Amino acid sequence: MKRSFAVVTDSTADLPGDWRQRYDVEVVPLKVIFGEETFRDGVDINNDEFFARLATSSKLPTTSAPSPGEFAELYTRLAKDHDGCISIHIGAALSATAESARVGAQSVEGFRVEVIDSETVTMPMAFLCKVAAESASLDEATAAVKQRVPGCRVLALLDTLRYIEMGGRVSRAQAMIGTMLDLKPLLLVKEGGEIKAVDRVRTRSRAIPRMIEFFESDMPVEYVGVVHAQAPEDAERIAAGLRERHPDLEIPIGQIGCVLGTHTGPKALGLVYLKK
Amino acid sequence: MAQRANPGVDGPLFKRALLGSLSWLSTNHEEVNRLNVFPVPDGDTGTNMLLTLQSAVEDIKESNAAEVSKIAKLASHGSLMGARGNSGVILSQIFRGFARAVEGKSSLNPAELAAALEEAANAAYRAVNKPTEGTILTVAREAGRAATAAASSPEATMPQVIAAAAAGARAAVLKTPSQLQILRDAGVVDAGGFGLQLILEGMLKTLEELDSSIEELTASRPVAPAVASQVAVALPEEGWGYCTEFLIEGSNLDLDRIKTQIEALGNSVLVVGEPELVKVHVHTDDPTRVITLAGGYGKLLKLNVGDMSTQHRRILESEGQTGTAPRPNGVGLVAVVAGNGLVDIFRGLGVDAIVEGGQTMNPSTQDMLTAIDSVPYDEVILMPNNKNVILAAKQVPGLTKKKVHVLETHSVPQGVAAVVAFRGDRPAADNLAAMRSEAERVQTIEVTHAVRDTRSNGLKVKKGDVIGLINDKLEFAGTDYGEVVNKALGKLGADSFELVTVYRGKDASDDELKKLESDIRSTHPGLEVEVQQGGQQHYPFILSVE
Repeated sequence: MKRSFAVVTDSTADLPGDWRQRYDVEVVPLKVIFGEETFRDGVDINNDEFFARLATSSKLPTTSAPSPGEFAELYTRLAKDHDGCISIHIGAALSATAESARVGAQSVEGFRVEVIDSETVTMPMAFLCKVAAESASLDEATAAVKQRVPGCRVLALLDTLRYIEMGGRVSRAQAMIGTMLDLKPLLLVKEGGEIKAVDRVRTRSRAIPRMIEFFESDMPVEYVGVVHAQAPEDAERIAAGLRERHPDLEIPIGQIGCVLGTHTGPKALGLVYLKK
Repeated sequence: MAQRANPGVDGPLFKRALLGSLSWLSTNHEEVNRLNVFPVPDGDTGTNMLLTLQSAVEDIKESNAAEVSKIAKLASHGSLMGARGNSGVILSQIFRGFARAVEGKSSLNPAELAAALEEAANAAYRAVNKPTEGTILTVAREAGRAATAAASSPEATMPQVIAAAAAGARAAVLKTPSQLQILRDAGVVDAGGFGLQLILEGMLKTLEELDSSIEELTASRPVAPAVASQVAVALPEEGWGYCTEFLIEGSNLDLDRIKTQIEALGNSVLVVGEPELVKVHVHTDDPTRVITLAGGYGKLLKLNVGDMSTQHRRILESEGQTGTAPRPNGVGLVAVVAGNGLVDIFRGLGVDAIVEGGQTMNPSTQDMLTAIDSVPYDEVILMPNNKNVILAAKQVPGLTKKKVHVLETHSVPQGVAAVVAFRGDRPAADNLAAMRSEAERVQTIEVTHAVRDTRSNGLKVKKGDVIGLINDKLEFAGTDYGEVVNKALGKLGADSFELVTVYRGKDASDDELKKLESDIRSTHPGLEVEVQQGGQQHYPFILSVE
């Protein structure tokens, strides 16, 4: 039976595998800009192409939110065969996307759009989409998603602080890295889109157990997944380890897309979860 | 010698004897320095002992106490405050044991002196975790035994007892190579033991030449090299005020009462000494009030008032250091380290105060105490970052009201690993456990040049050779940095590690650095290599392997 309401998100949700089809989610791309060239995340450029380009580009790319017009266009199209939609987006503290969606929605008369500021980024948004898609009505979906927003967490291990620092999202001091040593920060994106340093480590192999340790101290969780930027083996290993210790958890794996990848850089890893 | 036909050792005589020791050690301390078993530029034992002894007699010079117990107590306290290096710390424990043994005595007869020397050695043994024979400890014990044997004769005179102690020390020093393999290999006697022998000989000379003036004896005293203990902490709102120090000379001085009154006028208060002579140290905004108050108790000596705000501002400005938000766990960090780059790295990782020092410049207990007192936290983790500093660092917790934890880091890489693991939102106990485990995980390779020909750990080393130490132990010698480092990495099992951090020393050239980097990369392609400017002296390269 087809849902009466649509589920919309943006490309920073990093929907794993077939979730887009499985849960029938519309994905609006953010943009990544290399110099004069603008690419729609996941549409004009895929992840492999993006990271290859990132490695060779002398200047770091910039990113931008979809325009209100693009949202208006999508909502107009969805209005034809839905009686409403829930639109779940990257945290307003991190991007203008949710604001753009809100403005876009206002120009589509007679179509109910529930814009959700997820206060997070990457796969917790995918979990929220799943929750929405499995709800019986738009009201129920909206309530269920809003209730879960404060529990969204991204525990990220960056291979370098270079990209996030250049993007202006986190300073070295915030990441507890005030030194020239190439430390690897373990960052936590909490509710409100607040980015907090939880640890710092010298090597990657030491960092991964720390990540898992922190995650386990933050349990119980409703959903958990692993995201990575061009580090599939590491992600697979983390997921396998977690599945062994917590057989009741599903643990899907997602790839960090171009827009988020601009800020994390390559080889970033994330444990993403929804606290119970 | 007629006037001392039957003299006991009283305050003035013991004071003279100690000044004689200082003079004799000062004349000969370079000889002690040369007795370096390791071919690495090491903490100079002679200098460390001399500085410790200088600190021991510092307060004594101002004292006219008649009782030997009072002079001994001042020496004990002064040596503890100035203790540097392992031998210096053990020396301070010898003074402490001596002071305890003579407590309440105004003068000592030969038997009492001998007993006190024996008790001094026992106290030193007790102070050391794992006493090693063939060191200053053995020499102290043998000196005490020889003194006791001499004192058992009813006709024994004071110079005979001291002469026996000095001879006992000398004999014990000569035997040290038979007790310690490293001494035998290097073909030297134990430096700390030799230092103690000089101290006893200096006393003996004083007794024999009592007519010489003290001034003459001490005239050749060299100036102690300054060890900076700069600290970089945020300037508290009320300012630092004035560091005010003086001695109060009086009678029946009530230390507790003086302390309570001084504490009301400032912080970092130290009130120590005897009812006749009290040393006061305080950081206060109103030195005049402190001085007026203290002046009511007695005569003030060695008054010294320094404007700390100016001092600190100058240091802070020159280093561009800015204050940081207070830590939720209320735990401060103090590290001993030298070299511009390394100082910056430790500061950048969040260390609140740096005590400059390390391999050849061992900071005193007092230097570390000053740094700890300057940190705006009541609980402090102290990282010595050098094995020669650990023992002095371990004296600090007993000397301050602050809760001090000494994390026994043996090297710079261990210190860095420990600080990286520190988190400002975690209680001290949890931090210490995490820091200790990280410090133990990291492997240290130090590369330097042999300062002399020697044989150590089965290796024959020629002066000037490149030598490589793994975790403080000499393992390889060669002619080339890359060769020695790669051998060391091979021995550690480079495949089980991920990252090598190269801390480049002051004396390593760009070409040497480049060559070392490429040598490591080509031999161990699986290792990530990161280069940091350490700026340390004596070690062209220190490597952290993890």
